[in-house]
Amino acid sequence: MQPLDRVIRTRRALAATIAARAVLGGVATVLLTAAVLTAALRRSGVTTSSVVWLVAGLAGATALALLVRAWSRLTVPGVALWIEERVPALQYALVTAVDPAGAGPGAPFLEREIERVVWDREAGRAMVRGLGWPVLAALGGLTAFLMSLRVGVGVAVERDRATPSVTATAARDVPAPFARLVATVRSPAYAGGQEVRVESPASIAALVGSTVVLEAPGSSDGVTAYVGDRSITVQHVGTTWRTTVTVESRPTVVRLRHASAERLVALEPRSDSVPVVRLLAPARDTVVRTPSGELQLSAQAHDDIGLATVAFEYIVSSGEGESFQFRSGTLGMRRGDSGRELRIDASLSLDRLGLKPGDMVHLRAVAHDRNNVSAPGAGASETRVLRVARAGEYDSIAVEGAPPPEADKSLISQRMLIMLTEALEKRRPTLAHETLLSESRQIARDETRLRKRVSDIIFQRLGDNPTGEEGREPDEVLPADSASPVVDSTRRDSVRRAAARAGRTPREIAASDSADSARAALLRAASTATGRGDEILDFAGDETPVVAINRPLLEAYNAMWEASRELDQGETGRALPPMRRALAAIQRARQADRIYLRGKTPAVVVDLARVRLTGKEHGAASTRLARPPTDPAAARRAARLAAAIELASRSPAAAIDSMVLLRVEAADAAPQLAAALGDALAAMRSGREATGLLVRARRIAEGTLRASGQLSGWSGVW
Amino acid sequence: MNVRARFPIPDSLFPMSGEFVFATAQYESGDWDSAPLVPANLIDSVARYTSLPIAPTGAIVALASDDLFRFPLVYLTGHLPVRFTDAERTNVRRFADRGGMLFVDDHNHDIDGAFHKTAVEELTRAVGPLSQLPNTHPIYSAFFKFPDGPPNTSHELNGWGDNLVHSHLLAAMRGDRVAVLYSNKDYSSEWGYHPDNKRFLSIDNTKFGVNIIVYALTR
Repeated sequence: MQPLDRVIRTRRALAATIAARAVLGGVATVLLTAAVLTAALRRSGVTTSSVVWLVAGLAGATALALLVRAWSRLTVPGVALWIEERVPALQYALVTAVDPAGAGPGAPFLEREIERVVWDREAGRAMVRGLGWPVLAALGGLTAFLMSLRVGVGVAVERDRATPSVTATAARDVPAPFARLVATVRSPAYAGGQEVRVESPASIAALVGSTVVLEAPGSSDGVTAYVGDRSITVQHVGTTWRTTVTVESRPTVVRLRHASAERLVALEPRSDSVPVVRLLAPARDTVVRTPSGELQLSAQAHDDIGLATVAFEYIVSSGEGESFQFRSGTLGMRRGDSGRELRIDASLSLDRLGLKPGDMVHLRAVAHDRNNVSAPGAGASETRVLRVARAGEYDSIAVEGAPPPEADKSLISQRMLIMLTEALEKRRPTLAHETLLSESRQIARDETRLRKRVSDIIFQRLGDNPTGEEGREPDEVLPADSASPVVDSTRRDSVRRAAARAGRTPREIAASDSADSARAALLRAASTATGRGDEILDFAGDETPVVAINRPLLEAYNAMWEASRELDQGETGRALPPMRRALAAIQRARQADRIYLRGKTPAVVVDLARVRLTGKEHGAASTRLARPPTDPAAARRAARLAAAIELASRSPAAAIDSMVLLRVEAADAAPQLAAALGDALAAMRSGREATGLLVRARRIAEGTLRASGQLSGWSGVW
Repeated sequence: MNVRARFPIPDSLFPMSGEFVFATAQYESGDWDSAPLVPANLIDSVARYTSLPIAPTGAIVALASDDLFRFPLVYLTGHLPVRFTDAERTNVRRFADRGGMLFVDDHNHDIDGAFHKTAVEELTRAVGPLSQLPNTHPIYSAFFKFPDGPPNTSHELNGWGDNLVHSHLLAAMRGDRVAVLYSNKDYSSEWGYHPDNKRFLSIDNTKFGVNIIVYALTR
C-alpha cells in the first residue's frame, strides 16, 4: 500500500474520532446543563420544564461546534505530520513522501523506509485517548441528570416573597385530561410582575393579587372549573383550553373537572408585610427649656417588596388639663423607587413651630410600601416626645439631652495598663514613631479615665462634687506641652488651675480660693503629704483624718498624672515607674482596715428529707382543673385526616385530594397542621416514604403534639 | 485565746456517726466567717445530688484545735490578711500530712490582694509551695464533669476584683492527693446564698462544690 493511501486511511479514522468526540462532548454538555437547571428548578418548586431542554440544547450545540473545529485540520499533510509526531522512527519520510513537491527520484527509497514502519497501534492509542474524556463527561452528565431527577420538588427555600412558589404533582398521579396541565403565575405589577411557569401544579403560593393561568392542550368541551363553590370561565384558545384565577386573601382550591376526572390546585395567599421603620435620631425623649434651634432627625425603613415613600410625621400638642390643641405635619419625605431599604434625614426647626412652655412635639417616621392590590402597607417607628419645660418646674425637672446615648464607662485596671505599657515598651524598637505615639496616647487616655475615677473617690470623701476633678474629659488628649496639674506644693494647685482653665480671672480665682478654703487646705495638706516621689508615705502627725485616709489614693492620683504626661509624649519607659507607684498606692488603699457591719450569722439547717424528696408532704395539693373540651372544628379536622390516611392505602390520589382540601381549610385555623400536611403531601407526591410525616400531622390534628415559639413560663413548682 | 472553748463543737456533729460534717475553719486573724451561707448551700447540694450521709448543718472548727483532725474536709475563706499562729500553722501541716483536705477560697477575688498574698505565704510556710492544678485533675470529674477546669464565677466574668478570669486552681499535693486546694475565683461569693434560692438559678453553680466534697471523701 502506498504511503498516501495509508495516510488517507488514518485520516478517515481521525475524522470518525473527531466526530465521535464532538457528539459525546455535546451530549455531556446537554446532560450537565440539564442536570444543573433541573436540580435548581426542582429545589425551587418547579418540575422539569421545556426551557431546561432548550437551554441545554443550545449549550450542547455550542460545545459541538467548538469540538468539531478540528475537522478543518484533517488535510493529508496535517495527518502525516500528526503521525510523524507520534512515530519518530519515520524521521519525516512520510511528510516528504505525501508532499506533492517532494516527489522525485528519492520516492522509492522513501516508500521502502515508510513501509518498514507501522503506526496503526500508536495512532489507535492516541485516538482512544482523545475519546476518553468525552466518554467520561457524557457518563458523568448522565449520572448528574439522573441524580437531579431525585431532587425533591418544592423543598423549602427562603426566597423572594414576590416570587411565586409552586409545588407540582408527578404526572403519573394525574387524571388523563389534566396530565399536561400548565400553570403560569404572574405576581402583581407592584411586586415586579415576575412570571413562573410550571407543569402539573398542585399548590401555588403567591402574593395576594397574583394572576394564575391554568391551561392544558385539548378542547375546552366538558372542562369545568370552580374556585370554592364559584364557577369560573374556561376559554378555548387555539389548541388549548385556559382558565384564569386571581389569588385572593384567603386560601382557596381550584377544582378542574372533566367527566369523572377531577384535579385540585390549591392557591395559598402570601401577604405583603408592612414596612419596618426605625427612628435613629433623636435617640430618646427629651425636655428643652428654650424651644429654639434645629433638631436632627434620622430614620431607616425596610420592606419585603419595595418602599413607596418614607417621611417624618410630627404632632404638636398644646394646652393642659382637658383643653388641648393639635397641629401636625410631615417633613423629609423621600420616594423609595421600589428599593427595599431607605434612610432619610431631615432637620426640624423648633423656632418655626412656635412652641410655648408645656407644648409637646411627637415625632415618628412613617413608611408606605407599593402595594396597590389590597392597600398600601404602612409602618411607623416608635414615637419620640420633645417637651418644652414650664417655668414652674425648672427646679424639679430632670433634663436629659437627646442623643447621643451614654458612653461606655468601663475602665481598664491600673495593672492591665502597666501590662499594656510594658508590652508597648518591648515593641518600641520595631514600631514607627507615629504608631508608637498613637498606641501610647491610647493608653494615656485610659490612664486618664482611671485617674478621673480615683479623683471621684477622693473628692467625694472630701465632700466635693465627685465629678469636679479638673474639668477635663477622659477622652480629651492632653497637649504635648501642657503643664502637669499634679497636686504638688511646688506647682500650681489643681483648684487654681481648674479655675484658670475655665477662663476665670485672677480675682475670681481668689474668690474661689476664699470660698473653697477648706477644700484648698485639704488639698494643700494632701500635696504636702504626697509630693515626695518614690518615698512610701507614713502618717504625719498633723494630718486631718480625711487626708490620712485618702493619702494613698492621692499619691496614686499624682503618679497617674505623671504617667499620663509621659504616655502622651510616647515615653513608655518613663511612664512605667509612676504607673507602678500608682498601683502600689492603690494596693495600700485596698489593704486598709475595713469595718464589716454584719448581723448575727443565720443558722441554716438543711432539711435533708425535703431536699432528697424522702419526706412527707404536709401541704395541700394544688387544685386540679378540668381540661377544656376539645375544639369541635379540631376534632372534625382530626377525623377527616384519619379518614384520608385510611383511604391512602386504597386510593392514594383520592387521599391526596382530601388532604389538599384539608390543608387549605386548615391554613388559617391550624397553620401548624397545614404545614405538616404540606410536608406529607410533598412526600406522597414524590413517591417518598410519608408514614412518619402523616403520623406527625395526625398528632398535631389530635392535639397531642404542641409546639411553642417560646419557653413556657416558670410553673412555680420546684 | 482558746477558740475551742469559745465555740464548743457538740459531739453529735463529729463525723464519728458516719455522716460527713462540713467544717469551716476559724483562724485568729481576719474574717473567717465571711461566707456563712456557703456550708448550708453545699450541704444542700450534696444531699440533692448524692446519697452520701451528711449532717444537716455545718460545724466551725478552730485551726489550732485538735478537733480539726476529726474532719476530712475543712473550708477556709475570708477577705482580710491571714496570719496563722504557730499552733494553727503546725495543725494545718499535720492536717495535710494525715490525709485531710483544706479548701481555701479568696473571698476578695483579687490575685494580689491582702488575702491572696498572706494566705499563699502562710500556706507555703505550712504545707509547701502551691502549684497550678491541671484542669484534667480527677477533682474536675470526681462527680460532675468539668472538662474546662474550674467553673468561672460571675465575679470573674463581670470583671470585678482583679479583672482576671483565673484558669486554674492552686494546690499543695501529698503524693497524688490534693492536700490544700486554693482558689482565688471567689466561690465564697458565688455560693453564698440560702439554698432555697437555688431554684431561681437555671444552672446550679454549686456543683463544683459537690466535686470538692466527693473528692475529699474518696481520696
